[in-house]
Amino acid sequence: MLGQVCAIRIFQAVPTLLGVATLVFFLLHLVPGDPVDALLGETAMAADREAMRRALNLDLPLLQQYVSFLVGLFTGDWGNSIVDGRSVLVLIGERLPATAELAAVSLLLALVLALPLGYWAARHAGSARDFAAMSFSLLGVSIPNFWLGPMLMLLFSVILGWLPVSGMDAPGSIVLPAITLGTALAAILSRMARSSWLEAMSSDAMRTARASGVKEQVIWWRHAGRLAAVPVVTMFALQLGAVLGGAVITETVFDWPGLGLLTIEAIQRRDYPLVQGCVLIIALFYVIANLLADLLSLWLDPRQRHS
Amino acid sequence: MMNPTVRWSLFLLLIPLLVLLAAAVMQIDGHAVDLDAIFVGSSMAHPLGCDALGRDLLSRLAEGLRLSLSVGIAVVCLGGVIGISIGIFAAWMGGWVDAVLMRFADIVLSFPGILLAIALAAMLGPGVENLIIALVAVGWVGFSRLTRAQVLALKHAPFVEASLAGGSSVRYIAVKHLLPNIAAPLLVEASFGLAAVVIGEAGLSFLGVGVQPPDASLGTMIREGTRLMLVEPLLVIWPGLILFLLVMAVNLLGDHLRDRLDVKGGHADA
Repeated sequence: MLGQVCAIRIFQAVPTLLGVATLVFFLLHLVPGDPVDALLGETAMAADREAMRRALNLDLPLLQQYVSFLVGLFTGDWGNSIVDGRSVLVLIGERLPATAELAAVSLLLALVLALPLGYWAARHAGSARDFAAMSFSLLGVSIPNFWLGPMLMLLFSVILGWLPVSGMDAPGSIVLPAITLGTALAAILSRMARSSWLEAMSSDAMRTARASGVKEQVIWWRHAGRLAAVPVVTMFALQLGAVLGGAVITETVFDWPGLGLLTIEAIQRRDYPLVQGCVLIIALFYVIANLLADLLSLWLDPRQRHS
Repeated sequence: MMNPTVRWSLFLLLIPLLVLLAAAVMQIDGHAVDLDAIFVGSSMAHPLGCDALGRDLLSRLAEGLRLSLSVGIAVVCLGGVIGISIGIFAAWMGGWVDAVLMRFADIVLSFPGILLAIALAAMLGPGVENLIIALVAVGWVGFSRLTRAQVLALKHAPFVEASLAGGSSVRYIAVKHLLPNIAAPLLVEASFGLAAVVIGEAGLSFLGVGVQPPDASLGTMIREGTRLMLVEPLLVIWPGLILFLLVMAVNLLGDHLRDRLDVKGGHADA
């Protein structure tokens, strides 16, 4: 039963992925302005423009370009960077580990911070402690990461001199980017943890458990904790994808050589095939994370399998 | 007695409002370069000092704030009108029209919002109009999905069917019957949307694909301030603080609206 539902969900993701690829293609091919003009300048020689056009396949009809783009996607030919001529997939592959490392540390940090905070707020719901925890959470969702990053840099690198300013070579260089990226995630997760815990605690099952004399601590963790975990885990899986969007800005702030910084560099150099590849790979991870969230919540909450 | 959440929200807005007011009273040109005033500190003539080109920081902050608010309101209104119309249309028509429109919405939602806006803004080229287009292209989806879900629930309600039987046009029903009934969740969506758009605008400008110098946006000011952080940290502290206070106040108002109007869901993730 579960396997069948999962298979359907995975199958349903295929047209979405195809749609994502199509949107990225048309985003880069239908917007006004000639990419060749943007690359070479309007004063370039006609022969150079023609050569560039051929190199980018821009001389073919749009439909043919689209078909060869799709074929390339599946055969592993994502084109070459205009700037240094290397394969887009190789360039992405080089930068992927740095982003994966940053994302993993940020998510871990967010989880470690959010669960106790959410629990603490729910346990003391309505009190000053709850207010303090939720104020922190509001602070976390409202603070832009392109400002939090420089502020942390100013305090911990410039004034206190404890951590390196940017890059990823010096020891401890991951700390500030991970806090910058993880803060908003921690804030969202702690809000979610608090509200799901409270909702779980208000269910009839918990009242029955309490009436039968089960210890309060056991009810909170073992019984309500399991119920509350469903939305929290789902939200966490969704954040796996969202963190890549945030990484674009955080990596730019800290000069962290990952996929996000590569995307911005490609945009600044107008390296269209590379922009296309970067946007596509990030969207791909995002769709997979959403699918994972969907499957996880199906696995955790059997009621959903029937709906 | 005013609700404490609203009071907090107005308190947070105090500093941004003071900046706007002071700039309106002082009437200093935020674009005027004064090489004798580079990095000067706070004085009567320049209450918050000057930046690396000797431009008055207070007037630039006010300009950035006005821009953030106008872009935010424009994007939420445009995105709202487009999203709500598409949502009503999809729910009303049903069938393949609904399927195609919602599939398209799913695809747009398959990107991290900020990434799609960055890519679109970069392709369209810099400028406020293109910035608005990029943010609307991402922002309409939330409205359309929400509207569709709400209208589907109301489509067969007796008062809608009665109005239809009485010969009312679909447009009349949409405006007179459907919209007033779904206004509450849409208002909550709009308030969280405003916070997200304000951060989005500043983020795109920070990355260099939005507002371009010499125009002031809180995002470009943070970008310039970060470069000069070692020389004059206030240049990055001020614009970020104003942006942060504004976003937090709007998020708080959104929270208040959601609780007050008893709307389920809604989120403050920007």
